[in-house]
Amino acid sequence: MRLAWAFFKRDAVTALSYRISFAVQLLGNLLVLGLIYFIGKTLGATPLPALQAYGGNFLAFLLIGVALTDCAGVSLLTFAREIREGQLTGTLEATLLSPVRLPAILICSSLWSYFFSAIRFILYLGIGAALYGVSLQHANVGAAAILFLLTVLCFMGVGILWAAVVMVVKRGDTIITTLGYAVLLLGGVLFPSAVLPAWLQKLAQLVPLKHALDGMRLALLVGTPFSELTGIVWKLVLFTAILLPAGFISFHIAIQRAKQNGSLTEF
Amino acid sequence: MTLGRTESVSSEPIEDRYTGPGLRVEQVSKIYSRRKYWLGPVSQMEALRCISFSVRPGETLGLLGPNGAGKTTLLKIISTLLYPTSGKVEFFGRNVYENPVWARKTTGLITCDERSFYVRLTARQNLAFFAVLFGVPKKTANQRIAELLDTLGLTDSADRPYQSYSSGMRQKMAIARGLLSEPRVALYDEPTRSLDPLSARNIRTWILSNRERWPEQVRILATNQLVEAEMLCDRILVLNRGSIIAHGTVRQIRERWDKRDYAIHRISCSNLLPDGIAAAPERGLISVDHEPVEDGCSVLKMCTRKNSGGLSFGLSAIIESGASVLQCHTDEAPFDEVFCSLLMSEAGDPS
Repeated sequence: MRLAWAFFKRDAVTALSYRISFAVQLLGNLLVLGLIYFIGKTLGATPLPALQAYGGNFLAFLLIGVALTDCAGVSLLTFAREIREGQLTGTLEATLLSPVRLPAILICSSLWSYFFSAIRFILYLGIGAALYGVSLQHANVGAAAILFLLTVLCFMGVGILWAAVVMVVKRGDTIITTLGYAVLLLGGVLFPSAVLPAWLQKLAQLVPLKHALDGMRLALLVGTPFSELTGIVWKLVLFTAILLPAGFISFHIAIQRAKQNGSLTEF
Repeated sequence: MTLGRTESVSSEPIEDRYTGPGLRVEQVSKIYSRRKYWLGPVSQMEALRCISFSVRPGETLGLLGPNGAGKTTLLKIISTLLYPTSGKVEFFGRNVYENPVWARKTTGLITCDERSFYVRLTARQNLAFFAVLFGVPKKTANQRIAELLDTLGLTDSADRPYQSYSSGMRQKMAIARGLLSEPRVALYDEPTRSLDPLSARNIRTWILSNRERWPEQVRILATNQLVEAEMLCDRILVLNRGSIIAHGTVRQIRERWDKRDYAIHRISCSNLLPDGIAAAPERGLISVDHEPVEDGCSVLKMCTRKNSGGLSFGLSAIIESGASVLQCHTDEAPFDEVFCSLLMSEAGDPS
């Protein structure tokens, strides 16, 4: 607990010390909310059959899509950024000199980002409900919380896997950007994946975000009971069971490799 | 070599059953293999070759060598930041690669890298963060941080962001971090590299005082400052191109590698007549210089050929002239001269 707090405090102090950047980041989040509102308002008037399963409100559909994707994005980027910054500033080596085990270092160093991401998620939903008229009256909050946690864990695996790649290739911005676009396309973030061609829909089944979004929308917008979400939950559990250990193992191998070839502090 | 991923940490104090060296490095070699381009041929660079030595608890071993000799590589291997290609490292009889977590708890690496702190955090916040990482209990940590900041003269600036620190202050921070956990094995990697002479002297004095504070601590000091090695180290290990080329106390190394064929002596005398002693090269007394008289004492600077009896001849001549010898001091060869002589001999340069 003390370790987690130390990392959280370190990152919070650092983030808040860049006052303008922090304020602009908040402003950016509000602008995203504005963007969602006007896109939703423009396209929401025409009811789409593909949206019926999620309550038929495009604005609400989009809001949850963006909010949860933001969280998945944090998972994808946080670990790699931490490693990269650590390599550039020399703090990676200093941290690895400590007796703390690697998985603990990785998880603790992402806490601030996840905290801030959770705040944004709640902010999106709160503003959506208060100002945009998105109805969350029937929301199954318990199921949504479980799905949120599973999404975080699942993408944590992907993020750590990606950090292992960064550890080896040092710069991989283009790869992650492309991967991000693929997830946006297949995950059903901005539109229901039901509108994709059949073969892409099959491919989308391999994207955890698609299932996470399906579940989250059903839980929050329709209030689907947990018993009807177990299929999605199990899929996310399966993804997590594969991706999280894969992430940790890959990262362990990347560190071992860096310690063998002396590239721990190369950048 | 075994690079274990799991370890069993015994709660039993090691001192109760272990009496060997605090640190043992055995046949450690490091070869870096690199490809210049994708699927290209692998080129190899031997950074360390069969390095073996041990350090007793309480002892300070100096690592000397020119740039690129392998000093930092060796320290990184000892601190588990780097794996050796072969060989092993033991702390108090335990293989560090089989017990990496324990080994890291036991070690403090003081680097000369100024960057390795969080620049937006204050010195105190940085040290508090690393104290948690090293498992120092909160109460002890606060006390120890205050103590270290005070000793290193950083108390007044402790709540300033690290980024506002000068090179010297950053170096002091690295020292404070390395010693936060009061490690049983302290590895100093050029601790005074970027310091001004006064700060460097203060740090050296402080390191020296730590010998009393932690009498059982194993210390390795990698440095290019020969004065530092002379002042702080019990033994010296000289590395060149990844191999040990000399090993011993400063005196042993000086005696072995001092290539000068002459010695300079300063002799304080009373009642010495001006120009009373003259050089006699055929007797080994190469030259005699009379230095200005101070407090009624004459000082002679004699240069004699080594092992020639020149000093005896000179001293006899002084006494025979009716003067008394009050003090005789033989200048030792500067250690940097000895060190250069050693490196040049290694490189096959007879000069």
